Amino acid sequence: MSKRYILLAVVFIGSAFGLVVLPDKHDTKQIPAEKFLIEIYNPARFLSTHQIAKRLIERDPSIFLVDVRTPSEFEEYSIPGAFNIPLEHILDEEWVDYLSQDGVDVVLYSNGNIYADQAWMLIAQQGIKNLYIMKGGVNQWFSTIIQPVEPPETASSEAFDLYAFEKAASIYFGGSFANIESATTTPIKKTVVVRKKKKKAAEGGC
Amino acid sequence: MGPLTYFGEISTEWNYVIAIFIGMAFGYIMEASGFSSSRKLIGVFYGYDFAVIRVFITATLVAIIGLLYMGYFGWIDYSVLFVHPTFIFSATIGGIIMGFGFIIGGFCPGTSLCALAIGKLDGWVFTIALFIGIFIYSLVFPLIKPYYNMGDMGHITISEYLNMSNAWFTFWFAIIAVAIFYVTSVIRKKVKEVRY
Amino acid sequence: MDFWKENKTHIYWNPYFGGFMLGLLLIATFYITGRGLGATGGTKSAVITTVDKVAPGYAKESSYYSKYYDEEKNPMNNWLVFETIGMIAGAFLSGALSGRVKFRVQHPPHISSNKRLIYASIGGLLFGFGSQFARGCTSGAALSGSAVLSLGGFITMAGIFGTAYIVAYFFRKMWIN
Repeated sequence: MSKRYILLAVVFIGSAFGLVVLPDKHDTKQIPAEKFLIEIYNPARFLSTHQIAKRLIERDPSIFLVDVRTPSEFEEYSIPGAFNIPLEHILDEEWVDYLSQDGVDVVLYSNGNIYADQAWMLIAQQGIKNLYIMKGGVNQWFSTIIQPVEPPETASSEAFDLYAFEKAASIYFGGSFANIESATTTPIKKTVVVRKKKKKAAEGGC
Repeated sequence: MGPLTYFGEISTEWNYVIAIFIGMAFGYIMEASGFSSSRKLIGVFYGYDFAVIRVFITATLVAIIGLLYMGYFGWIDYSVLFVHPTFIFSATIGGIIMGFGFIIGGFCPGTSLCALAIGKLDGWVFTIALFIGIFIYSLVFPLIKPYYNMGDMGHITISEYLNMSNAWFTFWFAIIAVAIFYVTSVIRKKVKEVRY
Repeated sequence: MDFWKENKTHIYWNPYFGGFMLGLLLIATFYITGRGLGATGGTKSAVITTVDKVAPGYAKESSYYSKYYDEEKNPMNNWLVFETIGMIAGAFLSGALSGRVKFRVQHPPHISSNKRLIYASIGGLLFGFGSQFARGCTSGAALSGSAVLSLGGFITMAGIFGTAYIVAYFFRKMWIN
């Protein structure tokens, strides 16, 4: 038996044993705290109710609304097309595919900002991108889209343009203006979730 | 961090160029190790040449250890690597059929391509038969489809199945591998030499 | 030196060196593509393309081919096909550098070359069939599977080598006296 082969055997077993004695590594999946802090202060993580309403009306397929409130609240009222994932279940394994779809903006909302923001922090830490919060939540949604308030006479023309949009959106979403004019709201189709495959199917490799 | 294509760092065109280079390295290594010779390959079953099992097990061991270290140091995302799915029935039966194919034909698909490349006519015949075998399979596929999908265990790894850590499995595998290397070298000395 | 020159055609790499290089290549392949090497995948794509040329439409309807057949994407346009082309080129390069390129049938002295070709064709048929059933051959399933500790990879490896060892005795006449 030549010395080289003994050396080879020692190297193999030694490097394999090295794997055994290596300390457990920390989870590198989470993004580092400094980077995360910058993202938290990035105002771009908020989307206004107007932006969302516009995209829903245009039937933008790249938006996925997630309602983080309780199921009972969700039953009571939800934005058309939204998907209910209660805050306490937001980290469950089964939702990973829903929340990390390629090329889809995931928008979280609750009644106000707080719960949606908490959900955002929890998921964003897992390294999921394209994650947004609907600013003001359902309350804001009601006061702007469902029951918009007419701006005072002295308001700027932009405010009136916005109001015109809000009125139209209100009709679309079956809000307070819907009954005035003929209600021709068409139900928005449920968002189809494209599940991202965890393991890429490289069928029949060989 | 790898795998590069998974994280979109390589365009499709380059990916194909890389495929050719990887294939070239693969073919070169196999041919240089003598895998284009059916008599050398088959020697492993009659004890006169253990090149196949030595190359095969060394390659497996190096790859397992290397990938685990790379995963540990964060150079590669070990969790997205394609783990060959386990269908217990088809893997076993398919393996048995291929075992017969190996001992009768003297090649496996990769090595027959190497033999073909250097002009071995038995390699050509084997490869053409390989084509026909795949074609026959496609014809009978509707009949055997239920067996094909039998015993689906998903993308399971052997260490998960044996309920031990990857590291410990690799350690034991390394010891078994060295034992195989030693035993084969002993057998090799006892068996009558075959010249080819 | 003369000895070396004369026997150059039979000088192969040390198997442990070959194995080490193959292991490094496997790591590189996984690092770049996230999956392993393969040999029958490319062959299968070639079969599908041929079938599609000979009988257009059949490939789309056949329950087995349709899985892989994509109208927009030519099945030949596949990573494994390029890899297979590379394999042939690489093997040729190695053979040419060592002076092993020659049209011939390699067979044990007591077996006629025709018999060897018949055996090779039977073996090829079985291997083609088996590799599809097991979702991969020695390189795709056994080697690349084992590299990431896939259970199926180890089972297929054990299936191939185990069976061949068990039945080797019955086929010994084909290979040794």
